[in-house]
Amino acid sequence: MKKLVAGVALALTALTGGAAIAEAYPERPIMMMVSYGAGGATDFQARIVTMTAGNEDALGMPIAIINKPGAGGRVGWNWFATQADADGYTLGAYNVPHFIAQSIKGGVQYSTDSFEPIANWGADPAVFVVAADSEMNSMDDVVKFAKENPGKLTFSGAGLFVGHHIAALQLEKAAGVKMAYIPTKGGGAAAMKAVIAGEVMGGVNNLSDAFRAQEAGNVKILGVFDLERNAFLPDVPTLKEQGYDIDNASVNFRGIMVPKGTPQEVIDKLAASVPEMFKNGRVSKKMDAGGSPMHIMTRDEVIEMWAAREATLKELLAGL
Amino acid sequence: MEFLYYFGDVFTPVSFGLLLLGTIGGLILGATPGLSPTMAVALLIPFTFHLQPVQGLILLGAAYTSTVAGGAVSAILLKIPGAPANIATTLDGHTMAKQGHGAKALQLSFLASAIGGVIGVLLLIFLTPVLAQWALAFGPSHLFWLAILGVTVIGSLDTASVVKGLLSGCIGLWLATIGFDDIMGAQRFIFHPALGGGINIIAALIGLFAIPQVLTMFAKGRRNEGAEVIEVQKHSVLDAMREVLSRPRALSIGTITGSIIGLIPGVGGQIAGLVAYDQTKKFSPEREKFGKGHSEGVIAAEAANNAMVGPSLVPLLTLSIPGSPTAAVLLGGLLIHGIFPGTDLFDNHPDVAWTFINSMLIGQVLMCIFGLYVAGLAARVAQVPQSVMAAVVLGLAVFGSYSVQSSMGDVYVMASLGVMMYFLERFGFSAAPLVLGLILGPIAEANFIQGSMIANATDGLGAYFLGGTLNILLIAAVIASIVYSAWMELRSRRYTSKEEIMG
Amino acid sequence: MSTPSLPRLQHIIASGLVAVVGIWIAWISYTQQPAEAFLFPRLISSVFVVLAIWTFIKALMGWTKVGHGLTVHEFANLLPGIVIALIYIFWAAKGLGFYTAGAICFFILLSLYDPAPHRELRTWIRRIIITAGYTAVMYGLFAMLLKVYTPREILF
Repeated sequence: MKKLVAGVALALTALTGGAAIAEAYPERPIMMMVSYGAGGATDFQARIVTMTAGNEDALGMPIAIINKPGAGGRVGWNWFATQADADGYTLGAYNVPHFIAQSIKGGVQYSTDSFEPIANWGADPAVFVVAADSEMNSMDDVVKFAKENPGKLTFSGAGLFVGHHIAALQLEKAAGVKMAYIPTKGGGAAAMKAVIAGEVMGGVNNLSDAFRAQEAGNVKILGVFDLERNAFLPDVPTLKEQGYDIDNASVNFRGIMVPKGTPQEVIDKLAASVPEMFKNGRVSKKMDAGGSPMHIMTRDEVIEMWAAREATLKELLAGL
Repeated sequence: MEFLYYFGDVFTPVSFGLLLLGTIGGLILGATPGLSPTMAVALLIPFTFHLQPVQGLILLGAAYTSTVAGGAVSAILLKIPGAPANIATTLDGHTMAKQGHGAKALQLSFLASAIGGVIGVLLLIFLTPVLAQWALAFGPSHLFWLAILGVTVIGSLDTASVVKGLLSGCIGLWLATIGFDDIMGAQRFIFHPALGGGINIIAALIGLFAIPQVLTMFAKGRRNEGAEVIEVQKHSVLDAMREVLSRPRALSIGTITGSIIGLIPGVGGQIAGLVAYDQTKKFSPEREKFGKGHSEGVIAAEAANNAMVGPSLVPLLTLSIPGSPTAAVLLGGLLIHGIFPGTDLFDNHPDVAWTFINSMLIGQVLMCIFGLYVAGLAARVAQVPQSVMAAVVLGLAVFGSYSVQSSMGDVYVMASLGVMMYFLERFGFSAAPLVLGLILGPIAEANFIQGSMIANATDGLGAYFLGGTLNILLIAAVIASIVYSAWMELRSRRYTSKEEIMG
Repeated sequence: MSTPSLPRLQHIIASGLVAVVGIWIAWISYTQQPAEAFLFPRLISSVFVVLAIWTFIKALMGWTKVGHGLTVHEFANLLPGIVIALIYIFWAAKGLGFYTAGAICFFILLSLYDPAPHRELRTWIRRIIITAGYTAVMYGLFAMLLKVYTPREILF
């Protein structure tokens, strides 16, 4: 009995498995892997930008979010690079510079070559925050303290080799100081809690989370790690304006990708329809309400951005 | 008293309908193995897209409260804890169900849940500003000591031998280190790709509790004698109420422990049930009845894990810091509607804030009523023939562990741990301390590493981990707990050592 | 006493295995790099080894109660069930699809452990109905209500 079933099973796999994915893609619901926990900024935004996927003018099939959190995203991306089916029904969310920095640092099974980008939906710059009752009021105060007390200024961020850590490294390099970067477990929220509770003197955090914490009166935002000021925080100067040579290498770009080996027709179809899906008015309204900056980029733009980011990060991380 | 003013909003037809839907849906989701309250709330978020903010939050609030209680249903009837919060409930609850007292166990658990839950929400309503400061007081060094305090109860939890309890705990602590280390990103003990993500706690729970039970049923073989059929005894709700009220010690220890532990960000409800169970056991004169179907065990565990619901939202609502994974998901639900928790919430959207809190209060009561209503019926699950039961539990274990993150790896981990646990259980090891180690390991490690990084940059290790009132208090509690366990062990050994030696 | 009883022997083997695992993970913890990442595993495995060896010695000397052990009869009952469960989990669920494999496994296990006589047609009809009901409930709960994304089914 068992043998018979197994035999039939094998025969059927041989019959159906070979058949190419038809133009009818997608025929069934699609899953999207997010390598951070439910409730985190990436998860939250991924759920919003994919909520209209089931509409006829988008993909026509819903996208279900699957969380595979752990080790700053390494767990999810490792899974995505090595175990995910490259059939177009498994999408993944990427976070640049996180996964690129981790692949440069090594010890993971992916690099930019393991994935095919589809489209970018958001760009969340890192900001420097201090508790509301802190004596520091500008980046100059921070750097001054760090110069006087080398290695004693503690500041939190969401792990090693993620956007926050890149921002921290850039700050140390540009200001020529040594500080104590404290990676927290539990993402940006835990890093923010450490700042508010006074466990650390400052912190690098996501602009969207910091904006909310500032609204609640818990923190002061001293600088934005980006090329331009952000629409949510028009009064907060960039690090560059404050005299530190820091570009947008730490800005957290979020978007959708598929594993290498996904059929080209599927990639083309997704690359054409996904940016349109992001442009849906309901999506931007919800994203705006949550304080999450949108930044839609097409597949070609993302390929370029990945390559540029990889070059910058290789240089920045060379000394570590 | 502002909350009374907004009570009316909960009772509009649409809101109340959603509240009912959230409660009943939450009970069902909570009773489904593999669906933790966090996942259940995350699943409901898309539904709130189409609702008003207030209505959406009513749905989420009701679902949160009832999924936590719903987890007790599968814990009692199937010995599959729906979430870490329900581990302690299996210890006495499932034993009661096996003895035919399933209805009573369910009634007690719903009543205790409701009482603990209502008190927890009342704490949230009245003491929020005070509690928020207390929640922030716990830094890395304090959380480290707190985790160590948890480790000290391992030896005395649900096991006959302290050494084997500690050894089980060690196995759990070691299992927790598998995977990528969270801060350095180094790979540890990844022998198989399925372990790349570490051991998922929900999958591990299902494996450790459900699989040994399935195998035990297999080992009994094809039995024909009718002796196995369990008589499911009816139990009146009034008796259950009397029973709950006659156990004020279990109820109050459960509620207090749950409220305090629920408040602390990062530790949350995961260990509230277990710690409350252990404390109640230590303070109870009927200590030896625990684990054999004693009502105090169920009451303490369930009162604690629902009491934690209200306080666990304090850091979120006042400071916009999600203190637990579920709170993080709720934060997402608020943000989608453009509402920022924190002072903004209570100043500019008091209707949303108070209606949400009120809905949890009413949700607790509705959950209790509905739960009591179905308890008698649900308890008949114990009458299902063993052959069917074993196959059903096995199927639920596979589907449940898979559905956590759609990963076959989790299913493999679940099965391997389950088979291992079956054989270990035959030799006096026990699953509860192992799970406690699995939960506490990462908390202790991450906070120790983070604390030592801060300490090295500032005052040095000694001052950071040993200084300060809170640290000293916690260390004193750790020492007291160890001394107490050692003393109890010695005392019980003097009385029972003769009977223990056999074979 | 000359030869240890069966439960005692099993207990010695089981605690011996736990001790071997403890020594093995301690060895890995102390040899792997980077050292900072293995600080905690080293601590845990050291305690683990001490406790495991203590338990093993206690088992060897017979100073402890041994739990229930496993009789030959129980083991014979257990074996077919555990083999089918493991085939289901480690191969069939992915190979045949969750619902297909689940239904087949359920039916086999039910037939194996159901005390009703195998010779009667009624028994088999009952078993098929229970299996169908089980599969329908699982499909309704996990696929339709919770929309869990399962691997492709082989038959549909």
